[in-house]
Amino acid sequence: MANRNIEKILTRCITDNKENVYRLSYSYVKNKEDALDIVQDSIYKAISSIDLLKDPEAVKSWYYRIVVNTALDFLRKQKKVQVVDEETILSNSPGTEDVYQDIDLERTLDDLPDKYRSVIVLRYFEDLKIDEVAEVLNENVNTIKTRLYQALQLLRVTMNDEYSKEVK
Amino acid sequence: MDNKLEQLQEEYRNVPIPDELDFIVNKALKAKKKKKLSSKWLAGVSAAAMVFVIGINASATVANAFSVIPGVDSIVKVLTFREYAVNEPTYNADIKVPVITNLDNKELELGLNQKYLAENKKLFEEFQTEMESLKKDGDGHLGIDTGFEVKTDNDSILSIGRYVVNTVASSSTTMKYDTIDKKNQILLNLPMLFKDDKYINVISENISNQMIAQMKDDPDKIYWVATEENKDPLFDFKSITKDQSFYINNSGQLVISFDKYEVAPGYMGLSEFVIPTEVISDILVSHNLIK
Repeated sequence: MANRNIEKILTRCITDNKENVYRLSYSYVKNKEDALDIVQDSIYKAISSIDLLKDPEAVKSWYYRIVVNTALDFLRKQKKVQVVDEETILSNSPGTEDVYQDIDLERTLDDLPDKYRSVIVLRYFEDLKIDEVAEVLNENVNTIKTRLYQALQLLRVTMNDEYSKEVK
Repeated sequence: MDNKLEQLQEEYRNVPIPDELDFIVNKALKAKKKKKLSSKWLAGVSAAAMVFVIGINASATVANAFSVIPGVDSIVKVLTFREYAVNEPTYNADIKVPVITNLDNKELELGLNQKYLAENKKLFEEFQTEMESLKKDGDGHLGIDTGFEVKTDNDSILSIGRYVVNTVASSSTTMKYDTIDKKNQILLNLPMLFKDDKYINVISENISNQMIAQMKDDPDKIYWVATEENKDPLFDFKSITKDQSFYINNSGQLVISFDKYEVAPGYMGLSEFVIPTEVISDILVSHNLIK
């Protein structure tokens, strides 16, 4: 049965990518409990809307899309409360001269608006292809290229030939 | 690769994977499979579950016995029939089985009571099996809590909701309702309240509007419904099912209920929508029950 097959493919995709999906969720919410919650919510959501998955080939982008949307939903809810850890408070307080390089970096990525952060994470950390990223984020390929370019600029990443080629 | 990006990538890949991940993923995947494999779960039932089997056989007698207890008025009542509990540091089960008494329609009464027992028996067995397999594999956390609440109990309506809360790391909750028309002594379902199938669209549309309005009023609320900013078809509430869970509240209004995760992210919990009677007034079979 076609349905059973799709279910099998989805189950395998969920199992194979569980660690990736956890890290992806973590990159949005930045804590273990919420990331686990998002993984769980996403699996429920994926299984219950399996009928909407038309193309089994695209199962991974489809599942990632659910994860990203679930994470964004969660952040929208959390927007009002921003958790600031001690380190950040210290580094922002006047009189502190030492700013550690990688803390600065980390905050740079976290400070990016979600739409930029998503493309960076999916493209460079999850190693999806540009058109897969486009599918996950429900945008067209050119939009993703533009965003990627802008995101890299925001991160002040000096672009070597490899990157410039891709986003042009 | 670029240095900064490489560093960020490494940080990303160094996020530790918690031990619970496997368990949560398997549990979430199982949530669906269980329904299909339910008969196989009968294997490996422990002694405690045997009590349940006896309970079922005795249920008719017990229910009858309740109805002749002096001092219990001869009105329809919902009582706790029996409770099952497991209390270990990381394993908790609290299962309460409701029993209905004093319905004149004994067939209906028996049918419902047997259904409640069977449902709870199955949950308890599943819990036991799961607990055993977890203990074998090392350790884990597991909790189940079932019970009931009487939503409405007046001259014409008895609505009972039975809830099941499954706890792993986060919890999932399901709620099922039975609504009895006391005058006619029948169990109501959604289609029989309406003249024809139009109710599905009418009610679905009303719920979509309520979802959108609630999200506008309170940005903390999220339902999976298409709005102007968010048109993702994956997250679009389209329609209730023909037999959507429902009950009738004390003011005689129809209330449609959705389980956790059914129409909204997990933190929203169970969702309920009161359908204003004027919306469905034209398509109702009668106004005796829904006012």
